[in-house]
Amino acid sequence: MNKDRSLILVGVLLSLILVVIGTIWLSHSQETLDRIAEHFGAKKSAIWNPPLPEYEITGFQGSTMMSIITGSVFTLLVLCVAFIVGKGLKAKAKTQD
Amino acid sequence: MHIPDGFLDYTVCAITYAGSIIFWILAFRKAGKNLTDKQIPLMATLTAMFFAAQMMNYPIIGGTTAHLLGGPIVALTLGPYAGMISMTIILLIQALFFGDGGITTLGANVWNMGVIGVFIPYAVFVFITKIRRSRRALLIGAFIGAFLGDVLAAVFAGLELGSSSIFPYAAPIAVAAMGIHHSFIGVGEGIVTAGVLRFLLKTRPDLLQLPQFKLLTKEL
Repeated sequence: MNKDRSLILVGVLLSLILVVIGTIWLSHSQETLDRIAEHFGAKKSAIWNPPLPEYEITGFQGSTMMSIITGSVFTLLVLCVAFIVGKGLKAKAKTQD
Repeated sequence: MHIPDGFLDYTVCAITYAGSIIFWILAFRKAGKNLTDKQIPLMATLTAMFFAAQMMNYPIIGGTTAHLLGGPIVALTLGPYAGMISMTIILLIQALFFGDGGITTLGANVWNMGVIGVFIPYAVFVFITKIRRSRRALLIGAFIGAFLGDVLAAVFAGLELGSSSIFPYAAPIAVAAMGIHHSFIGVGEGIVTAGVLRFLLKTRPDLLQLPQFKLLTKEL
C-alpha cells in the first residue's frame, strides 16, 4: 500500500475512534459562550433548521449508536469534501502557472 | 466556541463576514500554490480528524467544556491558506447539517477559528523559528502558537459578543471568561500540535513543506 493511502487509512481509523469517544464519553457540552449567553438572557434564534440538530437524527434522539453512525458518515463526507477541494485548489494553481 | 444565530447583531455579523471574505479570497488564490500533491491526502485526513475531534468536549473549569480547534496543526502542516479552507469546510458542514454555529454567524466563526485560530499560530511559529533554528524551537513555536491561537480566537469571540447590542455591557465579562477558560484547552491544543508535528517530523517529513521544516531538515 502506498504511503498516501496508509496516511488516509490511519487518519480515518483515528477519526472514527475520536467519534466514538466523543459520542460516548465526551458528548456533554456546556461551553463558556453558552454560559455567558445564559447569564445575559440571550437566546439562540436559528434562521435555518439543520437536518441533524445536536448531531442526532430526528426520531433517534438519545441513541448513542445512531450518533456514532451519523458522526462517522459525516467524518467520511468531510474527508471527501476536503480531498476534492484540495485537488481543485491544486488544479486551479497548475492552470494559472 | 461556535457562535449560534441570534447571539450577534447584524453589524457584528457583517463586519466579521467582511473580514472572513477577504481571507477567503486570499486563501482560494494562494492555497493551491503552496499545497503540494502529496499534501492533499494530508489536508483531507486532518480536516476529517479535527471535524471528529471537535465532537469531543473536555471539561475545563466551572462546569464548562471546550473542544480542540485544529487550526494550529492545519496551519503548520498545510500552510495558513489551505488551513483556513480546511477550517471553513468543517465550520460550514457543522452549521448547515448540525446547527453547530450559525449561518448569520458563520463569518464570525470562520474569523475566530479559521483566521485567528490559523494565522496567529502560523505567525508565532514563524517568529520563534526565525529567532532560533532547532528541532526544539520548532516544537516550542508550535506549542506557543497553538496556545495563543486558541486563546485569541476565544478572546475575539468574547469581543464579538460584547460588541453586540444583544449583550449590553458584556464585553469585559465575555472577553475575560472566554480568554481564561480557553487557556486550558489552549494548553491541550499546544500539546497536540507539537505532538503531531514531532510525529510527522519522524515519520513523514516530506509532508512538511513550510520553509522552516526544509531548512531544519537540511541542517540536521
